[in-house]
Amino acid sequence: MRLQDCTTNSATLALEILKKNNEKLNNIVTFVEPTIKGEGKLNNVPVVLKDNVNTKGILTTASCKILDNYVPVYNATIVDKIEKAGGQIIAKASMDELAMGGTNLTALTGPVKNPYDLNRISGGSSGGSAVAVASGAVPFAIGSDTGDSVRKPASFNGIVGVKPTYGRISRYGIIPYSSSLDHVGYFCTNVKDAATLLEVLAGRDDNDMTSSFEEVKEYSKELNSDIKGKKILVFSNVIEAISNKDVIESFNNLIEGLKKKGAIVENVSFDEKLMRAILPTYYIIANAEATANHSNLTGLLFGERLEGSSIDEIMIKSRSEGFGPWIKKRFVIGSYALKEDNQERVFRKAQKIRRLIVEDVMKKLSDADGLIAPAATGGAPLINSTSTNQMSDEYLVADNHMVIGNFTGCPSITLPMGYTEGLPIGVNLTCNPFKEQTMFDISFAIEEITGLADKVKEDF
Amino acid sequence: MNKEEIKDLALNIMFDVTDKEAEDIENEFKTLDKMLEFFDSIDTSNVEEMVYPFDDPTSYLRQDVTSKTISQNDAMSNVAKTKQGHVVVPKVVK
Repeated sequence: MRLQDCTTNSATLALEILKKNNEKLNNIVTFVEPTIKGEGKLNNVPVVLKDNVNTKGILTTASCKILDNYVPVYNATIVDKIEKAGGQIIAKASMDELAMGGTNLTALTGPVKNPYDLNRISGGSSGGSAVAVASGAVPFAIGSDTGDSVRKPASFNGIVGVKPTYGRISRYGIIPYSSSLDHVGYFCTNVKDAATLLEVLAGRDDNDMTSSFEEVKEYSKELNSDIKGKKILVFSNVIEAISNKDVIESFNNLIEGLKKKGAIVENVSFDEKLMRAILPTYYIIANAEATANHSNLTGLLFGERLEGSSIDEIMIKSRSEGFGPWIKKRFVIGSYALKEDNQERVFRKAQKIRRLIVEDVMKKLSDADGLIAPAATGGAPLINSTSTNQMSDEYLVADNHMVIGNFTGCPSITLPMGYTEGLPIGVNLTCNPFKEQTMFDISFAIEEITGLADKVKEDF
Repeated sequence: MNKEEIKDLALNIMFDVTDKEAEDIENEFKTLDKMLEFFDSIDTSNVEEMVYPFDDPTSYLRQDVTSKTISQNDAMSNVAKTKQGHVVVPKVVK
């Protein structure tokens, strides 16, 4: 479904489809009656928001029990922007609890299913939003991306997932996870829509201290698939670690297509030690920051409160009951990293390694237009699948390389690239900070090569 | 990292973990310890911590004037227990 296809009854129709689909996909937490509050580039467009986006007067749970009764008294900046542009919010989508996960199996409302195979995961943490777009219900949904939480589910669901530059879209009113890594991102089905949507969402916001002053361009008007002379780096560490032949074949075909269009393609390898440290570095920084950010979830001022004979007891009871086991695990690791005795060896060490990784990548990327690699090592895993070798390069490097986009703050996009056993597989492109136009232009060329724009799965 | 240490870490940030949860976290630490061995192999002497992606300033001191407020009613609307515009909690001073 494209933005331009929306008509006056699209929101009502989309709400009906979402409700029907939800019986199988389980991707929606709260349905919202559509209302028109503005006019602009999103006229008649039905929109789904991830349930960590604060919506005034509408339940916002972040798929977490402690927030199961939380009704915000204000809108996130992006909500006002979407509504002012004519967009109509029709649902809040399921996510991994507090956005801390990559499967959408940890949501309070249960697993979200993949429309290509209901026995498979949607990916996460923005799985509910991804599936809303992939199932053809809406042309646009909001997600958030701290590690790859937009770009990985985009790959598993065969759609476009965008994480722009850090600071490009205001995070005011988004329930935080990790402040130095969190980005607002979004899903759609083609590159032109992706460009238009950034025009609506981006821009300086004084309510977000990390919001950028960089000018927001007319990305969709400037869109140009002529990539002659553009220098694109192939992320060799990732390619070498992938065993799925379909992924490699689709990727190689795409690279040939880019060369035919006149792009200069070069293989690039980054320091192996640093590449293997990507995931642990992310894990330490993200969990430590999350532990601090979520210290406000006490049950006292908002959220589910369990009674006790002291303030401490209320907090301990409310938090013990209000967090799932996977969240407790991550918070304990964050607590470990921040403990005074460990700070230098664990937390600060991770922050230093982050700098080394960023420097190593930017040294090469800043002399090129983009860095390209498969977005995942294969199709969406089965819901009950547990077999991952967490020490293999395939997992440490190829399955988690997109975290680099969060470490560097660089804009990064996932696009459909092909299929493996009937399941979508995606390609990821990362460009230099605030070079979203270049990112969309190369993506436009990729879309022409693959012919996979506007693919959705409506029957499941 | 043993179960008691894990329970202490959890309690430091105000929640309890069950024995089963502590066991799962103990196993997670085994994997994490292996991953942290990568840290030891990387020389970070004279490297500054990276705290945010960009060094460009995006926030400034502003005039000390009210810019955005919410009403008392709004502030109280999500509180489980209130009385006369205040949050009710157990007595702190006894």
